[in-house]
Amino acid sequence: MAVDTQKTLLFCAAAAVRLLLFTVFPSLPSLLGGRVEISTPVTSFKTLQEGLFLYSHNVSPYDGGVYHQAPLLLPLFSLLPNPSIYPFATNLLYTVIDLLGANSLMQIAESCQSTSPRLFTSPRKDLRWSNIAIGASFLFNPLTIATCIARPTSALANFFILTSIAKAVQGASITSVLALSFASYISLHPVLLFPPVLILCYDVRATQLKMAPSPLKFAFIHISGLVIALSALLCLSFLLTGSWEFLAATYGVRLLLPDLTPNVGLWWYFFTEMFDSFREFFLGVFWLHMASYVGGLMFRLRRQPLFVIATLLGIFAIFQPYPSIADTALYLAFVPLYRHVFPLMQYSFLASSTLLYASFLGPAFYYLWIYAGSGNANFFYAITLVWSLGLSVIVGDSLYAVLRDEWEVERPEMRGKEVRRIV
Amino acid sequence: MALISSILALRRDARILKLPPYLSALCIIVGVVWLLVLPLNEYSRNTYVSENALLPGQVHTYFTGSEHNIFRAYRHEVAGLVDKPLEEKTQKLGDILQSSGLKVATQKYEYHSSGRTISGQNVYAILQGPRADATEAIVLIGAWTNMDGVVNHSGVALVLTLARYFKRWSLWSKDIIFLIAGDSTAGPQAWVDAYHDSHSPASIEPLSIKSGALQGAIAIDYPAGPWGHRFDKLHIVYDGVNGQLPNLDLFNTAVSIASGQMGISCTLQRMWKHDDSYQERLQTMLRGMISQGLGHASGPHSSFIPYHVDAITLQTVGDGWHDEMSLGRTVESLFRSLNNLLEHLHQSFFFYLLMQANRFVSIGTYLPSAMLIAVNFTITSIALWVQSGRPKQDPTPTSTDKIPSKTDMVAVKQDNMIALIPEASLAVIERSLFLPLAFVSSAHFLGLAPLYIFNNIPEAVLTPAFHTITALTLLLPHLTAYTLSLFHRPSRQETTLIQCLSLLLVGMFLSALATLNFSLSFLVGICAAPLTFVRPIFPPPASGGSAASSTFVAKNRIPLSLAMSALLSVVNPMVIIVGATRYWGADIVDVLVQAAEGWHVWGLWTQVVVWLVWWPAWFAGAVVVAGSVFAVPETETGKAKT
Repeated sequence: MAVDTQKTLLFCAAAAVRLLLFTVFPSLPSLLGGRVEISTPVTSFKTLQEGLFLYSHNVSPYDGGVYHQAPLLLPLFSLLPNPSIYPFATNLLYTVIDLLGANSLMQIAESCQSTSPRLFTSPRKDLRWSNIAIGASFLFNPLTIATCIARPTSALANFFILTSIAKAVQGASITSVLALSFASYISLHPVLLFPPVLILCYDVRATQLKMAPSPLKFAFIHISGLVIALSALLCLSFLLTGSWEFLAATYGVRLLLPDLTPNVGLWWYFFTEMFDSFREFFLGVFWLHMASYVGGLMFRLRRQPLFVIATLLGIFAIFQPYPSIADTALYLAFVPLYRHVFPLMQYSFLASSTLLYASFLGPAFYYLWIYAGSGNANFFYAITLVWSLGLSVIVGDSLYAVLRDEWEVERPEMRGKEVRRIV
Repeated sequence: MALISSILALRRDARILKLPPYLSALCIIVGVVWLLVLPLNEYSRNTYVSENALLPGQVHTYFTGSEHNIFRAYRHEVAGLVDKPLEEKTQKLGDILQSSGLKVATQKYEYHSSGRTISGQNVYAILQGPRADATEAIVLIGAWTNMDGVVNHSGVALVLTLARYFKRWSLWSKDIIFLIAGDSTAGPQAWVDAYHDSHSPASIEPLSIKSGALQGAIAIDYPAGPWGHRFDKLHIVYDGVNGQLPNLDLFNTAVSIASGQMGISCTLQRMWKHDDSYQERLQTMLRGMISQGLGHASGPHSSFIPYHVDAITLQTVGDGWHDEMSLGRTVESLFRSLNNLLEHLHQSFFFYLLMQANRFVSIGTYLPSAMLIAVNFTITSIALWVQSGRPKQDPTPTSTDKIPSKTDMVAVKQDNMIALIPEASLAVIERSLFLPLAFVSSAHFLGLAPLYIFNNIPEAVLTPAFHTITALTLLLPHLTAYTLSLFHRPSRQETTLIQCLSLLLVGMFLSALATLNFSLSFLVGICAAPLTFVRPIFPPPASGGSAASSTFVAKNRIPLSLAMSALLSVVNPMVIIVGATRYWGADIVDVLVQAAEGWHVWGLWTQVVVWLVWWPAWFAGAVVVAGSVFAVPETETGKAKT
């Protein structure tokens, strides 16, 4: 009962902070919504408004060439009153999405999948933070709050990803696949999470049923589930817009990167500098690079599927074509689940200071470039490199820590020893 | 991997941990010395005009002869308007501009700050360039009163004469806007805000006619009365709001035209006499840095710079033989140069320190000095972080025979060498981060209180408010430390972590700030430097035996802590503000009123830096030191873990 009270308090406090920020600073949403660090061309709330306007005037929302988001978002948001006049309903929706996401995160924490999945039990499994602390670290993360206030649609995708994983750790594998297909429908790249989510579902089901179901049959059922759900969503979109042009305008833009608006990622600068003849080749290389982590991580960390998912989310936050701090916020939500390997991480201070420095220098350099006119694009790009470096250090360091944790189960005598290269 | 692990092993070396204070001190010394060598010929450069299109001084100027009579007539018209009501004055100035065949409009503005109302009216006229397509414009400003509140008789008259004169030329390929602002700060600010549609419509009127993107602005400050006054030099004022500077090309063009073509010598930063010696260069540079660091508006041009419109003010100084016509020809030639521009000024530097009218250093040369100051905080912060993770050490034994024989040793083998290391120096203890994080973030939020109070209370209560807040600031660290000590907090480790996080934040803010406003970052960094070197003195553990409590530091713990507290009180932001205003003979209320006006009118950010960066850092440092006075010996030991 005490936990429930704490949870209610936490959720009330988080909702109060968000609604207070929305009400006390009415210009904050549009200010943050215009920041390139939060809103990308494929998630921005402003372009969603544009699409919504065209949609409600019976013009194809993709006609203006501005709207690059999924078609089914339009009927959802057209149910809400116009956010420029009555923003409360929209604000409430985004607040509720955050709270539901936090709820899912707390369910994931509760399942202990991070410390003791089916095939492995960490020797440090007793060192963990309470679910409340993990939920609070997500809800009160400034990046999450900024995302919620700026209202990009990546908040929705994050919510579906969290739901999918929460359902997976509870063994509701079909619901999990359904939620993941929603997330993939909204922002494409979560489809890469399907293999580790499938393995996670399989492990949980095997634990629950006391005997492992046939892997092939299990995979077949869920892959068909994903295909059916995705095709249903795409067909529904086709029925809604009356043509298939939405495919090129949404997934085409994510795949081919025609809009080179700056963001915190690594793609935009690279592709502005590139000769057109190499563009296709490097698009292929960049996507292949991002996707290639899925297979490798799954083989190496077969015993900890949740950690594969977490690491992939970190990799998406760095290497996807249109990343924003919303993706970073989602990744950072998963890091506290691995509290037990924190003592093994060696660069936590370095990485968090790097992120802290980058999050202040980034806006400063963007200001120098765009507003003061006394800097240039290289200033901002240098800082996005530092930001990505900080994130990669966290990803790499946590990977090292988890591998070391696994290794110490096999070699208990090596606990506390320094790693050294043996030639 | 080997390299990384040997670096990781290095961080546990006890000698490395002793190094950071010296390293920090070295950073500060090098940073300051770096600044001091900049005026030398080897480190500064002669200025040069890098934009080819400007061609300064390459045209013949025709502003002579009969224009002088017109100027004198206008000067008498202006003198006749001084005591007239605002509406009549505006009407008359508008009529004069209209009679030259220009489109005229007016703008009313009203600002409220510190319980005062700043209001006035701007008159402006647009000359449509005969060869222009209304996409670009340059601005000539004559504020009705200058920065000292003196009526700008000849300046306004010169703007009116030049408006009439420019209208007759067919060679303008940009529109020219003549702006007679109601005063030198609020008026131009209201006008330029409204020009870019970012004004608050409740108190500032929108502009009824506009032209294209502003390419540059020149303000004239020539307060000679109706009978004229011959001047000696041109004082070129170039500081913008928040320390932003105009492109150096504009400054160079003005200097090159005035001194090269017209023979008027130029000066800057109120250095009326400048014979190019080291001291005078240094003094000019330091005055420039203080002006930039304060970030206040220094003339009618200052409001334009945040909108990326390069602007300067030409101010006449001294008694000499140059008359209004030389100034008019200088402005004419300057406008002909700006008229040549093919694109926005971008070639030359935006970040520079000037030390004489034709000598400067660019950002690449001077930035390391502020960065070194900022880095000193980061170095100490990292050192404190490492220190906070080390298990508490046993008190140093006084003689060797007391070495406990049962110290756990670990054999470390690397590259065929074996070393025995006490296990304790390898262990990292868990850090309890909650209290330090909460403390540092609430200290930074607490800074919002003085920021809000000083920007929003009326002028009459500013003096008592300032003294109250100064007293509170000096007392608060002790009160906080005492209150925390009642709960037996913060522990040794938490104290170290508070200082670590606070210094980390200062280092971060100052290095970000150094890219925006070098001088402010440098000045705050120097003033906050003592925070790097103060350390809490912990009481020896209760069970620690007599050896630990017999050292000098342990015996004089409380006097030493009080001495450090006193030292910190001297470098408290409030005390430094009071000292600085006394030194320059300014009145503290004036400074606060200016700052509040800056906040409400110009969008000044200096006080944000003072209250949300410097003040919280000082507060955290002072609490850490004051904690030693109230600290009680600890008995529990930190949990060691791998």
